[in-house]
Amino acid sequence: MDMRRSEVTPEDQARYLRRGDYARVTAADRPGVAQPVPLREVPAQPWGRILLGACVLFALLLGGWEWYWRAWGATPDYYNSNAEWAQQRRRIDNGEGNATVFIGSSRVLFDLQLDVWQALDGERPIQLALQGTTPLLTMENLAADPKFTGRLLVGVAPDLFFSGFAYRGAALKYYLKETPSQRVGNWLSRTLIEPWFAFFDEDFALAKVLKRQDWPARPDAPDRLDVRKLSVSASDRNTHLWDKVVTDVQYRDLARSIWTQHLNGPPPPDMDTAEKAAKVIDRQIQRAVDATAKLRARGVQVLFVRPPDAGPYLAFDNRVFPRARTWDVLLAKTGAPGIHFEDYPELRGFDPPEWSHLKLADARQFTAALHAIIVRDFWKPDPPK
Amino acid sequence: MVFNSLTFVAFFALVLVVHNLPLRWSVRKFNLLIASYLFYAAWNPPFVILLWVSTVVDWYAAQGLVKAKREPARHAWMLLSVIANLGMLGYFKYGQFLLDNFATLLHAVGVAYQPAPHDIVLPVGISFYTFATLAYTLDVYLRRAEPAENFLDYALFVTFFPHLVAGPIMRPTELVPQFEQPRRANADQLRFGLALMTLGLFNKVVLADGFLAPVAEKIYDAHALPGALDAWAATLAFSGQIFCDFAGYSTTAIGAAMCLGFAMPDNFRFPYAAVGFSDFWRRWHITLSAWLRDYLYIPLGGNRHGERRTMAALMTTMLLGGLWHGASWTFVVWGGLHGVYLAVERFLRRRFAGYQPGTLALVALGLLTYALVNITWVFFRAKTFGMAWTVLGGMFGANAAAKPILSTFYLLSVAVIVGGLVLAHWFMRARTLESVIARAHPAAISAVWAVLAFAIVAAQGSGAAFIYFQF
Repeated sequence: MDMRRSEVTPEDQARYLRRGDYARVTAADRPGVAQPVPLREVPAQPWGRILLGACVLFALLLGGWEWYWRAWGATPDYYNSNAEWAQQRRRIDNGEGNATVFIGSSRVLFDLQLDVWQALDGERPIQLALQGTTPLLTMENLAADPKFTGRLLVGVAPDLFFSGFAYRGAALKYYLKETPSQRVGNWLSRTLIEPWFAFFDEDFALAKVLKRQDWPARPDAPDRLDVRKLSVSASDRNTHLWDKVVTDVQYRDLARSIWTQHLNGPPPPDMDTAEKAAKVIDRQIQRAVDATAKLRARGVQVLFVRPPDAGPYLAFDNRVFPRARTWDVLLAKTGAPGIHFEDYPELRGFDPPEWSHLKLADARQFTAALHAIIVRDFWKPDPPK
Repeated sequence: MVFNSLTFVAFFALVLVVHNLPLRWSVRKFNLLIASYLFYAAWNPPFVILLWVSTVVDWYAAQGLVKAKREPARHAWMLLSVIANLGMLGYFKYGQFLLDNFATLLHAVGVAYQPAPHDIVLPVGISFYTFATLAYTLDVYLRRAEPAENFLDYALFVTFFPHLVAGPIMRPTELVPQFEQPRRANADQLRFGLALMTLGLFNKVVLADGFLAPVAEKIYDAHALPGALDAWAATLAFSGQIFCDFAGYSTTAIGAAMCLGFAMPDNFRFPYAAVGFSDFWRRWHITLSAWLRDYLYIPLGGNRHGERRTMAALMTTMLLGGLWHGASWTFVVWGGLHGVYLAVERFLRRRFAGYQPGTLALVALGLLTYALVNITWVFFRAKTFGMAWTVLGGMFGANAAAKPILSTFYLLSVAVIVGGLVLAHWFMRARTLESVIARAHPAAISAVWAVLAFAIVAAQGSGAAFIYFQF
């Protein structure tokens, strides 16, 4: 068969179809021959009207979906995606290696306000904290990167830092392997979708919305609620606690109940005995020691910060990760300085609505107070050149 | 780039505009070639070189085959193509696997050997385009086809972006002739092509990624011991996930090609309504199974040299077919199980040659086929044999100490989606999608199209890669 003259005749089609239960002939029905050009018919339908109708209905459905989430209190904001994290991380590769960098978990992400810091410091830090994630992954990555020579503020949320838990661990892998296509996709998303649509939020994805409906519980099956939307992000990951958590009592209580199930849940399998837990904690501290040594060897100033929490969350942290066994050992072994909120009157007394994160006004105040302490006691301003 | 990404939406819109500009056909083909290279380079630009190597080697091998006067020379040109393509595939895809097994073998005979890590990134879709280019030289070698006259047509056949990275695995005779004459989709082809793309993306983004993948992950990527219900639910979920993922990709690819005025073959014919395994393989990943049949099973002797030789050819084909899917023994077992199923079916068909099942028996045999296919999926999905045995143990009641894992929502998702999928396959068993759409009311088509498109947007897919990209 010549490649230029191969096609299926209607007779071939009919002959093959008689062979079995198949409505269309494929290569499966023609063994050992050159396969001809496939036939692909378009069903006889008024496709112009169909497309128009589909577009109108699609617009109505999407408009209704957007209206629903806005009515519920959501506003358009930027996706806290791996792509955005990678974009901020790349700033260090692209000439901002001497910047101040924040790493940590959600408390550093929500509680440190970049615009306040910039107003006081003259420099806008790079925000690399990841919610639900130990900062040690990022710290180790920065320690291995000679381009980073700036200042590093490491947030310590005890249950994440000393357990090594990494809910967003994929962000670092994404940064290391990001493809050109993904970079373009992120740019398109941040230009055409994220600033305009409130429904575009991880928490409002269709499967998640359906999953959290009030389905009958399966006896004895774990029925844990996923963490809900807690924050709002600007274009460079400057993030704060969502107002709904502060103003909507029901939603705040929901957020607290989700923390409660976390606090009352079983320990992870690698920490379910005191000996295993001690090993995990020691391993995380050793990781911090190694990374700190590498960073300080090339002049990076490392500062650990323990942001505030309250209520049952603080009680849990103190019970499972007591300061003397974790924070104090961390500072002693790394030799790096640290700021624990309990040690500074100006960092105490905040009232996190869901026990873990500060509301925006408090976050701004906390940022200013923390900056003042850091400048006063730790990071002296650069001498004039 | 992946079809389920904003980058692809922008890329495809641009390609459609450029393809419909009033330019010479050769220029428009050249544009498609450049677009296809961009599509591939968007993952990892240096890997375009591999694509070029594969393209150029097979172009010259086919030319050499035609010019060769003697059989040994023809053999040599064919072998050059096979060695170049399979060598590339072997190095990138199976290098680490071969090294690990070599080290294990040496350990077994008491030699301590620790190979250096291979650390090679697998080029996306290499298994697909090496098979497409191999088909080109093998068709010429087997005298089934003449080589293409025009390098541009041939290069575009290899690279054409709708099929490049995950099929359908095109034969040169299916696509090269389509590049001979100017092609542009008419308005209805464009609209129906867009409808097919919507359907394909719905399968991938909403059903596979949104609802079914998390259920399979809860069991297959965790350490808890699953009971019978959880193990079956996760395996059924994976059966739905892999179908929706891969058939979704194929449907999107067919739709994208149609929007540009080209026809691509079916890759699936509602496989979960298959009765028996020969039927299953004529419905599942058709372009791969037909490729393996035409270029491996038949050259190995097929069914022309007695029962023993037929069985050997069958098992070899299925074991290598399993290995094609991934460098792991679990894939080999998956292929081997299908080989055993086919062999048993062959025996039974001869033993009960005159048997014609009634409707009930047909459905029962179909459900048995589906259940047995699900057992093979355990080895396909599990990353280790340990996990495969754990899940299989659960499925057959061996995990007495197991506690419930999946919530009601997950169980319902599987029941509704996979149950619906199997029913739909039975309804569509001897139909085509086009024939059903042709009989539907236009308003119903509009409504379904809009709902699918809305569900894709509302699902907010993460741009997760299609499962078959890794193969």
